[in-house]
Amino acid sequence: MIKNLLPLLLLCSINCFSQKYISNDGEITFFSYAPIEDIKAVNKKVSAVYNSADDNIVFQLNINDFNFRKKLMQTHFNENYLESDLYPQSTFIGKVIALEGNKAKVKGMLTIHGVTKEIEADGTLLKNNESVEILSEFKVNLVDYNISIPTIVMYKIAEEILINIEIELNYSQ
Amino acid sequence: MKFNVFFIICMLYSNIGFSQDELLSLLDDKSSEYSKYIFKGTKVVNSASVEMPDAGVLQFMIQHRFGTLNSGFYNFYGLDNSQVRMSFDYGLNDRLSVGIGRSSSLKAIDSNIKYRLIRQSKGAQTFPLTICVSSSIVFKQYLTSNSENNNFLFSNQFSYSHQILLARKVNRQISFQLSPTLIHYNLLPIDQLVHDLYSLGYGARYKISNRISLNIETFSQFNSGNNINPLSFGVDIQTGGHVFQFHLSNSAFMIDRAFIHETYDLWSEGSIYFGFNISRVFTLKD
Repeated sequence: MIKNLLPLLLLCSINCFSQKYISNDGEITFFSYAPIEDIKAVNKKVSAVYNSADDNIVFQLNINDFNFRKKLMQTHFNENYLESDLYPQSTFIGKVIALEGNKAKVKGMLTIHGVTKEIEADGTLLKNNESVEILSEFKVNLVDYNISIPTIVMYKIAEEILINIEIELNYSQ
Repeated sequence: MKFNVFFIICMLYSNIGFSQDELLSLLDDKSSEYSKYIFKGTKVVNSASVEMPDAGVLQFMIQHRFGTLNSGFYNFYGLDNSQVRMSFDYGLNDRLSVGIGRSSSLKAIDSNIKYRLIRQSKGAQTFPLTICVSSSIVFKQYLTSNSENNNFLFSNQFSYSHQILLARKVNRQISFQLSPTLIHYNLLPIDQLVHDLYSLGYGARYKISNRISLNIETFSQFNSGNNINPLSFGVDIQTGGHVFQFHLSNSAFMIDRAFIHETYDLWSEGSIYFGFNISRVFTLKD
């Protein structure tokens, strides 16, 4: 009986070895550079988990936590473009596929506006004793995520959005 | 034994397979989510909606009402007669806004305050309604010849309106609002017998696209000497920096007391006023 249970116990112990780092106050900023108007919005409530044992990494944020300087833009962003009532969250589920020093490459599925696309991004992953710091910058095409900008305001919003990630995750359990 | 090994292998695989989802489940959002954007504008048609300018945002609104559609070609079907209300509303914080406005034909200055008590939410905290209280004071200017009358008091020029706004966003298209209203007149209009008039407002919107919604609004009066109720229809169109609202109503007025209790025109006679609102917002403070 004990022999039978042994692998199970082993399995449990493997589970315990997993090194999870969690954050609930990460920052994701996006920029749209356009001739007439640069648009910037910050979300300071990004959650993230990184498991250093298997290099899995997950991000999640609420679309309506993005703050714009102009509140009307925030309204349009939620109501017309990202439709946050239908698609309240954006997630990234991926894996660190390469790590040389601090330079990391991450690959995974990014879901925005209900559309999931595979992306790859370069970034920095700084491991300290109790925390992991993640920095990254990558570009997202609005068309890929079915976000339509009416032609009348086209000049105001860039078709390619720059996304900047800054998250410090703390060791958990 | 075979079963056990199989079981463990299954466990092992499931453990690997679910590890990313497991990470995601660690992030499950437990905060409550508010229903936002119940109406497109701060007004359903004429009356206040539960929406208010965001904190630090100044909203400038120009409201136009033309004459009645049945006033004939000589008046160009009402377009010759126009009256305006211009107003500024400012969001002091997330819950409180104040405003001031001036109506041309009524010669009235009104100032209002709106406070949001609670928001419709789901998640950790669930509440079915968004509730606001809204109050306004109207100062209707009388001519000097009026004030020379011995009985005339300065306070005669004031009237007050108090509303509780109860709104619910049913789904992304449909929102409803009920507005129990108390209007107090210091000086009674000729057809009224009591100073405090009660009414109940009903409003609704249907969003036909992300940018366009259809609105309807009516009030039923309870103890008024005037039994004609206002009925208004509107279309809200949201563009880059503006909200345009087009209306058809049997009332020409834009302040609570006037459109609820001082409407004398009938839809059935074609005494319909066409009007529109344009609002523009300015971010004053981040």
